[in-house]
Amino acid sequence: MSTERSFDAVSLGILWDRLISVTNEIVQALVRTSFSTIARENYDLSCVLFDAKGRSIAQGTMSVPVFIGTAPQTMRHMLDAIPPESLKPGDVILTNDIWMGTGHLWDLNVMQPAFKDGRIVGFAMSISHLPDIGGRGFSTLNENMYEEGLQIPITRIVRAGEPNVELIELIRKNVRVSEQVIGDLMANIAATDVGCRQLVEFMDDYGIDDLVPLADAIIEQSEAAMRQSIAAVPDGVYRNEIKVEAFNEAVTLACAVQISGDRLMVDFEGTGPMVPFAINVPLCYTKAMAAYAIKALILPHVPNNAGSVTPVEVKAPAGCILNAVAPAATGARFMVGHFIAPLIFGAIAKVMPERVQADSGMTNIMNVIGRNPKGQEFTTLFFSAGGFGAMAGLDGLATTPSPSNMMVMPTETWEVLTGIRVLSRTLRADSGGAGEFRGGLGQEIAMRNDTRHALTVYAMGARTVFPALGSRDGKPGALRSYRVNGKDVQAQGRYDLKPGDHLHLLEAGGGGYGDPALRDRSAIAADIERGFVTLDAAKRDYGYVPVTPAH
Amino acid sequence: MTYRIGIDIGGTFTDFAMIDDATGALSFDKILTTPKDPSLAVMEGLRRLLDTTGVSISQVVSIIHGSTLVTNAVIERKGAPTGMLVTAGFRDVLNIALERRYDLYDLRMTLPEPIIDRECRAEIHERLAEDGSVLSPLDLREVEKAVQALIDEHAITALAVCFLHSFSNPSHEQEAAAHITDLFPELYVTYSADVLPFMREYERWNTAAVNAYVRPLVDRYLGRLEGSLADLGFNGAFFIMTSSGGTVTSDIARRYPVRMLESGPAAGVLMAADVGRRVGVSDLLSFDMGGTTAKGSIVRGGLPRKKYEIEVARVHEYQTGSGLPVKIPVIDMIEIGAGGGGIAELDDRGLLRVGPRSAGADPGPACYGRGGENATLSDANLTLGYYDADTFLGGTMRLDRAASERAIRSRVASKLDLDLARAAWGIHETINEDVARAFRVHASDIGFDYRRCSMVAFGGSGPAHAARIARKLRVPKVIYPRGSGVMSAIGMLVSPLSFQLARSNRVALTALTAEAFAEYFAGLQGEAEKVLFPRTENRPNLTVRRSLDMRYQGQGYELEVVLPENETPQMLFDSLPGKFAAAYRDIFSLSYLDEPIEILNWKVEVIGPSPVAADSAVTDGTSGRAAPRATRQAYFPEKGYVECPVYDRYLMSAGDYVDGPAFVEERESTCVLGYGDRATIDHHGNLVAEIGGLS
Repeated sequence: MSTERSFDAVSLGILWDRLISVTNEIVQALVRTSFSTIARENYDLSCVLFDAKGRSIAQGTMSVPVFIGTAPQTMRHMLDAIPPESLKPGDVILTNDIWMGTGHLWDLNVMQPAFKDGRIVGFAMSISHLPDIGGRGFSTLNENMYEEGLQIPITRIVRAGEPNVELIELIRKNVRVSEQVIGDLMANIAATDVGCRQLVEFMDDYGIDDLVPLADAIIEQSEAAMRQSIAAVPDGVYRNEIKVEAFNEAVTLACAVQISGDRLMVDFEGTGPMVPFAINVPLCYTKAMAAYAIKALILPHVPNNAGSVTPVEVKAPAGCILNAVAPAATGARFMVGHFIAPLIFGAIAKVMPERVQADSGMTNIMNVIGRNPKGQEFTTLFFSAGGFGAMAGLDGLATTPSPSNMMVMPTETWEVLTGIRVLSRTLRADSGGAGEFRGGLGQEIAMRNDTRHALTVYAMGARTVFPALGSRDGKPGALRSYRVNGKDVQAQGRYDLKPGDHLHLLEAGGGGYGDPALRDRSAIAADIERGFVTLDAAKRDYGYVPVTPAH
Repeated sequence: MTYRIGIDIGGTFTDFAMIDDATGALSFDKILTTPKDPSLAVMEGLRRLLDTTGVSISQVVSIIHGSTLVTNAVIERKGAPTGMLVTAGFRDVLNIALERRYDLYDLRMTLPEPIIDRECRAEIHERLAEDGSVLSPLDLREVEKAVQALIDEHAITALAVCFLHSFSNPSHEQEAAAHITDLFPELYVTYSADVLPFMREYERWNTAAVNAYVRPLVDRYLGRLEGSLADLGFNGAFFIMTSSGGTVTSDIARRYPVRMLESGPAAGVLMAADVGRRVGVSDLLSFDMGGTTAKGSIVRGGLPRKKYEIEVARVHEYQTGSGLPVKIPVIDMIEIGAGGGGIAELDDRGLLRVGPRSAGADPGPACYGRGGENATLSDANLTLGYYDADTFLGGTMRLDRAASERAIRSRVASKLDLDLARAAWGIHETINEDVARAFRVHASDIGFDYRRCSMVAFGGSGPAHAARIARKLRVPKVIYPRGSGVMSAIGMLVSPLSFQLARSNRVALTALTAEAFAEYFAGLQGEAEKVLFPRTENRPNLTVRRSLDMRYQGQGYELEVVLPENETPQMLFDSLPGKFAAAYRDIFSLSYLDEPIEILNWKVEVIGPSPVAADSAVTDGTSGRAAPRATRQAYFPEKGYVECPVYDRYLMSAGDYVDGPAFVEERESTCVLGYGDRATIDHHGNLVAEIGGLS
């Protein structure tokens, strides 16, 4: 095939979709072979294909948003450290570097070059969240990155097909649940294997010797589509500022979204400084989250690749909490980073209110370390979602994660794995913000330590001080809270639970949209009937007057 | 002389297929479905089939029936007022669901409403631990009061009993269900461990809820239908088709109606497997494409693959995660939103996409001439010359080619700067690619090498696309069986009685002995046999298929390991590590792990004898090149528009062959052959295409 070949709309669509499908196969391989529940149940992972120039051209459709933006940057760092000329077939590179990777040590980035006829034609990368990386454990409490765990620089984990046994043993020695960590590492290697094999097979199938012209076409088309959508938004500078809790303090996040023609720039100038807790956000994560928020608003379904992120420029002053620098601790970066989405939504709401969602209750994450009644060690994450924000014409969904995607662990699976008893898990009445369209309900979860061992819980919850705000006169959702043995505690601390101790989570509700007085009366009646809203709250928040039954 | 009849109710048509057991001769018919009372069309069509063939109802030894009744009841929410008893503290499991977004970018994402309203769920203070031990005992008086209240306040007629960890110990659910049945005999009671005792409360309870919700409806429907059949003089056996490719008696269907979901498409796959068996092909791709969807399935070693979860009532029809998950044994099928009515449009990228939006039947594609303005796949196939405007559906429906061309020009060609032929070809080829891609992903998911297998193609649109898709997949042979439009009804005629039980019981291989292993399976087998044949006398010889879901301890994704049928328990037990390693290698092409292995789910399927019918012989013809009926202009990417011969399949005999490019037409479908393809009628009456350059 000649390199000048251009693609018409038919063949470009066909080739492009096939590449995306290859990335989905890599994701499947990764999910199937992963050992930790984080990858397989929560899909906290991503797989990306690159062309020979290291530009991302396709990404698995099921991915958490942050990896969408970080993978291309990681790729560039890897090729800077290990030039492509020195790569051999069967080489596999990895790193968990905070600043070059995804912004914290727990994500493993694994990359492998794809060779065809002795030449590198592309790269496959697989990223997943490890259950452990040593150090003091996944929490908000670490004060610098050295406490957080093992840092692996950009290194070959496999050299020409030969595993780097020393490095594998080094990792094994430094982590908890090492069989899961090593299992997940192997799963990532296997996934990049599948990716490279599939990529070469794809090229063979369509008689393609060089991916670059196809990559050019994919990237140009995506960029053009994004630019066209940006151009449709009225020019201007749209600002927003919110407060986010950082232990007992509040940090300000500020942004200015500047749109001029088909260019969009997000500047986080005005954002508060880093803090001595592990909730600082490296710029790679900030960029990724900003790109996600913009895309979800203006052109949700253009596939992810270098072109779909190029038109969005992101800036943040070095040293602010959204552009943390070494040796800051960043483990629970999502605690602050997740707020980038509502921060930007709030800014854009000023110009496109009908597209924007009211704030969501967001996901609460606990890192739980202990032993189950059989004495087996575990360290695992527990996710529980708050309510989704309402939108024009649509009530918020109950218990739906935002902005990242997670998946709940069933009570039965959780109890089998940990022996921690879930006593109840119910929707929280009145937790959804009132509005013409009601915010989604949060939930209430009660647990008891029935493991017969001491248990350590690292809480990573937000919205305990600043609720999910409503949009266009909609009311805020209920706040989140953590209780240990009936007492309210900090939602970002460490708690040691003795056998028999109780833990109580009240998850935040989503914000409402529009004036509650405008809510359809029959929708209020249905909410009362279902128990989503109590009669008292309906009277108070909606001015609801119950209709006396006719009979 | 004895006959058997398969009846498949679909959304638009109710299909009939009758086989003469002695000769293997098949008769088909089709009649419009009567959605209000589907049994009306069943009876009318049945009478017509008997009339036209001169067969008496007394000669019919069995009727096998499949229906979309359950699917429709869930989608349209036409089930019974249903209540639910749940473990205290877990009333909201159906609302909290999976806490997952199936589309990360769609902020307006929605989900189906829970199948049982929140106010109809009552909490019961009982509790089991994860090992099945009792933490809080069940109080039957509390159960009684709760059910009475649900009846008084919500007039429930069906009930699902759903307690935590019942997969590990069903006794609380069983005791509650038995007690309720004693007290309220008119109430339809389902308990979750009886439907399919897998771990994970949301999916198991949702399955029980769906089962409870449709039971009264299915019970009434089957009662009515059996009454009408008896009135007609039918005294043969009446069986119901299930999603797993087996049939059950109507008693079992009434107890587990949820197992009737997707039974029609399952029967189609079974038929494809049977076509393969007759021609000696055991590995094949079953490809069924109709008006709105395409369905693909992989048959390996003669057996369709099973899975244990499907989704119903999806908000976005082809989006995984947007529906209600139901755990039942089903034939594993991929579904693609691609059929004749699939609409061609521009996506967010500004490139061509076809489907999953469908023009449906009304107004339908532009070529139907009913005011449809969308360019659809059928419009593209007509524009390319693949369909004949005058002979479509046997000439009963004239197509408007000018309307097709207008639609493609305005909706696709002008927007993408393509000429008409390239745009039409793009629509056709996009679908081929979509289907090929779906097959590839599915095959790699399960470690299946399709490159040496065959494809069996059917459905109204399948034969128009199969050869080209096979070429993309490097599948060398495509088989087009007769009766392409009624394959599901035919499939029911080859389905054996069968019932599958599965249970979660997590145990490490090292903690298991051959005796315990054999005992556990024997227990499950006994239960399955008892469901299928409640009486022990006169049980036919049964085939027993056992399989295990196994994984490396700590790994989250289990693999199904199918155990051979004729090995002793000791042999099976000893070979488990090896079998698991082999299955693992098949899929991941590596097995570097030295981790202990554990079993998660145990499954037993008990299968009755397969119905046997003679193979209908096809008379030898001239054994040479068939004579075309006509020619027409058609587009092929290699040469552009060329004059292309058209053959009438009904005039072809065994041994006759045609070379592509060519069309072989039958009433409900057109087989499109490209350059290099040659298709021959075999001795079973199948049209078999060798794909050029691949054989």
